[in-house]
Amino acid sequence: MVTKQVVFINKTGLHARPASDFVMLAKKYESKITICKEGGEPVNAKSVVRLLAEGIGQGTKAELAAEGPDEAEAIEALAVLVASGFGE
Amino acid sequence: MRQKRSRLWQFWLPADLENKGTATMGERQKFLCGNAVSKGIAIAKAYRYEPLDLKVSKSKCDKEETEAECRRFQSAREQAKEELQTLYAALEEEHPDQAKIFVAHQEVLEDEEMTEETENVIKEDCLTAESAVDTIFNQYADLLKQVEDPLIAGRAADLLDVKARVLRLLLGKEEKRLDHFAEDVIVVAHDLLPSDTANLDRDHVKGLITEVGGSNSHCAILARSFSLPAILGAEDAMTQIQDGQDLILDGLSGQIWLDFSQEEKEQYEQKRQLWKKQIEEEQTYLLRPGATKDEVKIALGINVGSDAYDTAGAAYDFIGLFRTEFLYMENDHMPTEEEQFSVYRRILEGAKGKPVTLRTLDIGGDKTLPYFSLPKEDNPFLGERALRLCFSHMEIFETQMRAALRASVYGNLQIMFPMVGSMEDIRRAKEAVRKVMDALKQEGIAYDPKVKIGVMIEVPSLALQADLVAQEVDFASIGSNDLTQYVCAADRMNAAMEPYYQTYAPAMVRLLGFVFESFQKANKPISVCGEMAGNPKGAALLVGLGARKLSMNAAMLAAVKAELARHRIDELEKMAKTCQKLCTEKEIKEQMEM
Repeated sequence: MVTKQVVFINKTGLHARPASDFVMLAKKYESKITICKEGGEPVNAKSVVRLLAEGIGQGTKAELAAEGPDEAEAIEALAVLVASGFGE
Repeated sequence: MRQKRSRLWQFWLPADLENKGTATMGERQKFLCGNAVSKGIAIAKAYRYEPLDLKVSKSKCDKEETEAECRRFQSAREQAKEELQTLYAALEEEHPDQAKIFVAHQEVLEDEEMTEETENVIKEDCLTAESAVDTIFNQYADLLKQVEDPLIAGRAADLLDVKARVLRLLLGKEEKRLDHFAEDVIVVAHDLLPSDTANLDRDHVKGLITEVGGSNSHCAILARSFSLPAILGAEDAMTQIQDGQDLILDGLSGQIWLDFSQEEKEQYEQKRQLWKKQIEEEQTYLLRPGATKDEVKIALGINVGSDAYDTAGAAYDFIGLFRTEFLYMENDHMPTEEEQFSVYRRILEGAKGKPVTLRTLDIGGDKTLPYFSLPKEDNPFLGERALRLCFSHMEIFETQMRAALRASVYGNLQIMFPMVGSMEDIRRAKEAVRKVMDALKQEGIAYDPKVKIGVMIEVPSLALQADLVAQEVDFASIGSNDLTQYVCAADRMNAAMEPYYQTYAPAMVRLLGFVFESFQKANKPISVCGEMAGNPKGAALLVGLGARKLSMNAAMLAAVKAELARHRIDELEKMAKTCQKLCTEKEIKEQMEM
């Protein structure tokens, strides 16, 4: 299992388009991927509805975790997407 | 002017049909009333559109059947995906915003976790596919509803819409569709959702009636863009109207006739023809310059949003209101300087040298941004709106000013501030613009240094010192909707306040006269860009009060030009003077022949 701490720096957090982009990228990997908001429970990162329900806003800290054949690549790619601020 | 009832408007309410309200005839109700949100008249049979009954009757299955139930679920999901793809493809080009809804629906359908959980409850709890879908979709919709952000909570509706689609496919029911009729119909429904109206048969659907919905609902906007007469908010329409019943939909008065004689029907048929003729006749005015009968020139402008507009260049003289907030509202993030610049440049170039009045960000009040949380206020209309909000978030204001000034070299730009209440506001905003200009100069970026700076007159405190304001600004534009709301202290979003929200209140007519006079004395341009300017009768009054520039939705240009061309300026001035002496809005409207 690979984990990584990330901070959502973009203004809208994980809403609307960023949430779709995040899920679309996560789905490219076979590994089971979760995202866990600071002080929360891990949720499936391939579920757009789950992500929306987390209400992740600007400045939210979260832990990404992946387990599976491509776990390292998955975490790396998702962390880069979050750090890029989703192009905002 | 009173005696000369204008030829074309008088048939709006024939005397014998006037003011019948919800008169009853025997046991049966003769009329239903609602909000006429899209004008016109339709005479056709009713088509009751009812959502399907998707009640799930069988909730459990045997252990051996669970595999088959999973397959049923997957196959319904696949079919739903195909349907959504078809809906999306049909709308993608002409109505991209409506098409986006179906992309969101596809995302829900492809949600991994929801799919897995649905299969789990089928396998583990031996639920039927229907009852599993029902359970899981409801659960997730509830989850979203609990999120504080209203935009996310609103997406629960998407989940329920998708649930209905999958259930219908599982239950093997035909989709109720409005895309093909053999004869003319008036569609009657409790409510119409985007997925209901996506493929509306525009050849045969002659009108829309719903029990809920106001003039800004999805349905109202759709009706207007299709020029389809519509009455929304007609309570009890579904109880009172039978399928196939003959109806008259009077989208001019907001009346629906349930019971009428052959003679009345013929009368309405005539009225419909007249209306059609009026629209056609008005259209002949579209490309003529705006003027009174005696050739006093009235400059007519259009109000536009961020979108492209397709009004012929010859039809308007200027863009009196370029609403920039759409650029912010239709985005999922604060638009960047570059994004704004390219839109402003496109609008300026499209106007081909005609003045474009860019109104700076006007949010707060009824308009919010999904990605930008505004402070909760008890009275948002009296709170941190528009310019006030920009003052407390200078970075947003400066970004917009930079984008606008950079675009100014591509056309004839004017900048206008909304929600200005005092001279301090004006000076502070002008100072901010100057600062941005200085910064651009230092960076060596081109802008038009002679950009005109003006204000919206929509707060009474500013209107009452219009003479002083005229010295301070290059131009002004009256926002009659907000001005009415603030002068009458009546919330324009609150339907119960409608009798108090008086656009033609004596105070309004007097105040408007004072504002026009003040700006004329200072020799500064003054225009009107609210609803009043786009109402033919309202426009006539405004001209009588002294207006020579009016800006409106492009759809109203022809009607306003036609009305102005019917009157001499001295008639209008006399009428306006009389109005200023009247005591009530009712008397004023009578004088205006409204």
